[in-house]
Amino acid sequence: MTIRKAAVIGAGVMGSGIAAQIANAGVPVVLLDIVAKDNPNRSAIAEGAVARMLKADPAPFMHPSAAKLVTTGNLEDDLGLLGECDWIVEAVLEDLDVKRSLYERLESVRKADAIVSSNTSTIPLKLLTEGRTDAFRKHFVITHFFNPPRYMRLLEIVPGEAEPEKVAALSDFADRRLGKGVVVTKDTPGFIANRIGGYWIAAGLAHAIDLALDIEDADAAMGRPFGFPKTGIFGLLDLVGIDLMPHVGRSMRATLPKNDAYQKLGGTPPLVEKMIAEGYTGRKGKGGFYRLDRSGGKREKQAIDLVTGEYRPVREARLGDAKTAGAILQRQDKIGEYARRVMLSTLGYAASLVPEIADDVVAVDEAMRLGYNWKKGPFQLIDEIGPDAFAAALEKQGMAVPKLVESARGRSFYRVADGRLEHLTTSGAYAEVKRPDGVLLLEDVKRRSKPLAKNGSASLWDIGDGVACLEFHSKMNALDTESMALIQKAIDIVKKGMKALVVYNEGSNFSVGANIGLALYAANIAAWPMIEEMVASGQKIYKALKYAPFPVVAAPSGMALGGGCEILLHSDAVQAHAESYIGLVETGVGLVPGWGGCKEMIMRWMANKKRPGGPMPAISQTFETIAMAKVAKSAMEAKDLLFLRAEDGITMNRDRLLADAKAKALALAADYTPPQPATVSLPGPTARAALGLAVGELQRQGKATQYDGTVAGALAEVLSGGDTDIVDELTEDQLLALERRAFMTLLRNSKTLARMEHMLETGKPLRN
Amino acid sequence: MTTYKAPLREYRFVLSELFDVGSLAQLPGYTEATPDTIEAILEEAGKLCEEVLFPLNRSGDEEGCHYENGVVRTPAGFKEAYRAFREGGWTSLACDPEWGGQGLPHTLAFFVEEMVCSTNMSFGMYPGLSHGAYRALSMHGTEAQKKTYLPKLADGTWSGTMCLTEPHCGTDLGQIRTKAIPAGDGKYRITGTKIFISAGEHDLTDNIVHLVLARLPDAPEGTRGISLFVVPKFLPGPDGGIGARNGVRCGSIEHKMGIKASATCVMNFDEAEGELVGAPHKGMRAMFTMMNAARLGVGVQGLGLAETAYQGARAYAAERLQGRALKGPAYPEKPADPIIVHPDVRRMLLTMKATIEAARALAAWTAIELDVSEKHPDPERRQEAEDLVALLTPIVKAWFTDVGFAAANLGVQIMGGHGYIREHGMEQLVRDARITQLYEGTNGIQALDLVGRKLPMHMGRLLRRFFHPVSGFIEEQAADQTMAEFVLPLAKAFGKLQQATAHIAQAGLKDPDEAGAAAADYLKMFALTASAYMWAKTAKIALAKSEAGEDAGFYRAKLATARFFMARLLPETSSLLTVIASGAKPVMALEAEAF
Repeated sequence: MTIRKAAVIGAGVMGSGIAAQIANAGVPVVLLDIVAKDNPNRSAIAEGAVARMLKADPAPFMHPSAAKLVTTGNLEDDLGLLGECDWIVEAVLEDLDVKRSLYERLESVRKADAIVSSNTSTIPLKLLTEGRTDAFRKHFVITHFFNPPRYMRLLEIVPGEAEPEKVAALSDFADRRLGKGVVVTKDTPGFIANRIGGYWIAAGLAHAIDLALDIEDADAAMGRPFGFPKTGIFGLLDLVGIDLMPHVGRSMRATLPKNDAYQKLGGTPPLVEKMIAEGYTGRKGKGGFYRLDRSGGKREKQAIDLVTGEYRPVREARLGDAKTAGAILQRQDKIGEYARRVMLSTLGYAASLVPEIADDVVAVDEAMRLGYNWKKGPFQLIDEIGPDAFAAALEKQGMAVPKLVESARGRSFYRVADGRLEHLTTSGAYAEVKRPDGVLLLEDVKRRSKPLAKNGSASLWDIGDGVACLEFHSKMNALDTESMALIQKAIDIVKKGMKALVVYNEGSNFSVGANIGLALYAANIAAWPMIEEMVASGQKIYKALKYAPFPVVAAPSGMALGGGCEILLHSDAVQAHAESYIGLVETGVGLVPGWGGCKEMIMRWMANKKRPGGPMPAISQTFETIAMAKVAKSAMEAKDLLFLRAEDGITMNRDRLLADAKAKALALAADYTPPQPATVSLPGPTARAALGLAVGELQRQGKATQYDGTVAGALAEVLSGGDTDIVDELTEDQLLALERRAFMTLLRNSKTLARMEHMLETGKPLRN
Repeated sequence: MTTYKAPLREYRFVLSELFDVGSLAQLPGYTEATPDTIEAILEEAGKLCEEVLFPLNRSGDEEGCHYENGVVRTPAGFKEAYRAFREGGWTSLACDPEWGGQGLPHTLAFFVEEMVCSTNMSFGMYPGLSHGAYRALSMHGTEAQKKTYLPKLADGTWSGTMCLTEPHCGTDLGQIRTKAIPAGDGKYRITGTKIFISAGEHDLTDNIVHLVLARLPDAPEGTRGISLFVVPKFLPGPDGGIGARNGVRCGSIEHKMGIKASATCVMNFDEAEGELVGAPHKGMRAMFTMMNAARLGVGVQGLGLAETAYQGARAYAAERLQGRALKGPAYPEKPADPIIVHPDVRRMLLTMKATIEAARALAAWTAIELDVSEKHPDPERRQEAEDLVALLTPIVKAWFTDVGFAAANLGVQIMGGHGYIREHGMEQLVRDARITQLYEGTNGIQALDLVGRKLPMHMGRLLRRFFHPVSGFIEEQAADQTMAEFVLPLAKAFGKLQQATAHIAQAGLKDPDEAGAAAADYLKMFALTASAYMWAKTAKIALAKSEAGEDAGFYRAKLATARFFMARLLPETSSLLTVIASGAKPVMALEAEAF
């Protein structure tokens, strides 16, 4: 069966978010909620949810047009709409009776083969389906999404009694279309992620109070050293809402066995009860464990004292050099004791739960990575510490060593054998870590082969069928001279006997652009010829990429900014992960794109068939996009800005991006001819003057600073074609020379250098 | 037989011709400091140094300080000289008028300091340390502390010290053990031993104000747990005079290689009463404001000693008749030629002259920017100036003191055996100069400060304050053919310095030993290039004035010295680049046990 149309019941944060993600996948979705009270519009609740989502940031919709795929309605008038749906998601109140009565109504309206799923996070499946027909139970599963549904990659599925083919179809849809990492779990409280994550949070809170720790120290300890998000525990609670804690705690305590380790952590601490009572529920309330104090005209970040409950100014965490799990677990102070208590018990707890909550350690690790954004799952962390050292630490702390950990002594949970990743099973044997059908990961390619070329910033890999993959791996994948050298090398290698090149990596970001730290340093020591050479050679290499005798497919995920974006612009095609954030942001640091970004964008807009007549609209659009450093917040949005072409592909699931890009590259390679060198006619000074007027207006309105005007002026000079005339044809090289000149002029300005420095030191643009 | 004349013409050149000291009078608070006033004060200071301090230099060295029962006596004549110094208002030059100071620019104080160190470096230690204490208290003290101490430090009736070093730690202050226990009344009881404390005890002033680094009971480990305290020898009395004797005593004084008239003390603190200066655990920051000023001051000591060595050697070379010039008699009427006819003697004299005058020019640049960094109304301009001073501080400290020691050594060399005996005073300069390369952070530490902190700071922003003006100057002068003989060597050295800077930035990121191995050579390369910049700027001025006018000889000498510098000293930058490029391996390969 195929899911062609879906429905979500319950337009709260989760329900509406799930509906948005289904719409993002291009699938029509019905969104229903109860009839609005005292409102002539009976569907006001669902409609309001969609309207709110269109304004929200981060946006649940990848493109405003996706909202058009959502049909809103109410549960009394529009139940009939469900009859057309292949999948109905229930995301109503966590109340068993409410859910049960809804299911009863669904029995009669749903299509015979439609799947029904609940997004419950606390109610066991067997309770939900009590009293339902056989047919219903065979079509019913739990689909547990994480908040926010567009951005959190985990989807836990509890299959219950559903037919395997139904579960498979739904998994496949969630994987390929919704982009989720599907983890199958047992019908146990909290499933996988919240069972372990909930324990971690409760333990982290209880022990911090017990040890009277400063929350900055606690959060620093539960952050980077273990590869957890830097919010740690208190920052995370502020983010998700502190008032959620007592609910989750009560439900977990009620459903877990009496001897479960969770029960020993105790109830909600009095401090937390008091905070909730006073409205300190986190970021959505008056503040949480941290708050921004605005009293007396100041803006001071404050932290709560766990002992007194009073706020005091935030201070730097005292973590010192303890940057790894091993280092922090060794520390002989309160922070070390805290890390030991929380992490040894959490990891031990996780190890005691397999196979109770999941069949293998792989599912547990995957769930924690995708659901809690941990860099490593619990078993990967135990491997990092070393199973023997971990067991010894448990014993020293007086804790029991779980059976699974015992069986890992002297070895590890994961190993590489014959270039394949294997995991330790509950039987004590190793089995290969299986990837879903059709998934190709560079991680796996790297495990089984040697690079075709490699340096400190990039590598080239053979991903089979004559396709090479260029991988960046510098810090943030910033592009430096070594990255450039490897692009050149990749061109040389692929040219000699391979079919195509894919530019792809598995970092958090495709590339944040040129390493401006390097450029700033060079500018500070007045190494002007060296910098100009860097710009010129980048232009040359990108141009070589464009005119290479084989197809080049760029496959971005995460940020592709500046020089990273310019790689996409010079590729034959792009296969983008839906969550790609693309833009030419150089003006933010007082520069203009210098590696052909201005050239490619102006040529794209000039060649755009949909634009109105005359060159000016194209120039204005390009100018606005670059001058305002616009960043597309999704691959779909990037098409509007022409960072992507209409025919470029979008992949929803991050793990499927490389396979899709490779397929695209092979399709292009079938009978490939490089593009013909292009020319463009631009109006020159008249266009520059027009753009100048527009900038002047923005300055008068206070929307642009004096120096914004200088930077925009330099950009206008490039985009208008310099001293050209509309009857002349400009070559690419002429446009590149204009880019270079503008770039070098701006780089010599101390205000540009101040912007670069500020960006590097604070991560934020400086408006000087 | 050493002689000394205050180099007043040189001061006028660097302050008013090479740089624009007149611009300081435009800054708020400095309106009195016109070039004329500055020149007049320098002249007065020169007289005092020549007439009062210089005659005591050798006698002070011979006699040294005396220690008995915790009491230290300075050599004969020092008390009288200090009184004259104090009464002349020389202790309060750059102090704030609010506290009885004269509010004059640091630039002026810099060169007064040079003359003091030229004529009697040991003597200069006493007011020099007071100035450091004044600065620390004025920047970090409470109003009450300022009121109690600053007027006394400014008028010189009390003096100051910096108590950092302990028997087991000098460079690594994180290991400090001296304790400060809260006494409950807002005061602290300080207990511990400090060593190498200059001016720790003496008979020149009524009271001595110690600024002491110590640890509070709850202090975190390392440098983040150090606090600064003010601990006076006598507790301040209610009338602004002195009260009870505090629990701080001098245990002994060191017997040293040089600066023998400066008392270097072991100070024992036994529950001495003190007050916290600045915030708890933030003592290192407060100390660094004192330290940075002190480092510039030590650099000036090196310059001062170099000047005296040069003047003595110059006089000797002109008078000493020995043998004949290589090409035949230069002065047939004399029984022999003065040794200044010899190329090798001239080489040594010119090496001294060329390094000293460039250093003085750099001192003027640094000093003026230091004043700008404190007084300029535009915060951006202040920041620029602060950046430059921060960048040049390790260079001023290390390079100037290396120049000082080298000059004193060359002075001995020129004088032959007469330089080696005590009678002529040249060997004293060698001994006095040696300490300047060691204290306030050894010159090795200065080099590490330059490559490890100043280079990477704000992604090289500090470097911009030096590299951009030099690059701009080279571009500007490209069209001037007459400048080519100065600008081309400068441009070449500058290019090499750029290469070395980029190399260290990249190699040092991957392996800190790479930066460490290059540090000292890099600092020297930087100093030589900066000196070349000073000489090229000097040449630009001198070219215009060397043809006519009563001073033409002065400018011709500048041009000849500039040419000597470019031809004979600057080329070392080439070999330094080669050395730097060889990396850390040659120095790190040998295992520690194999030494």
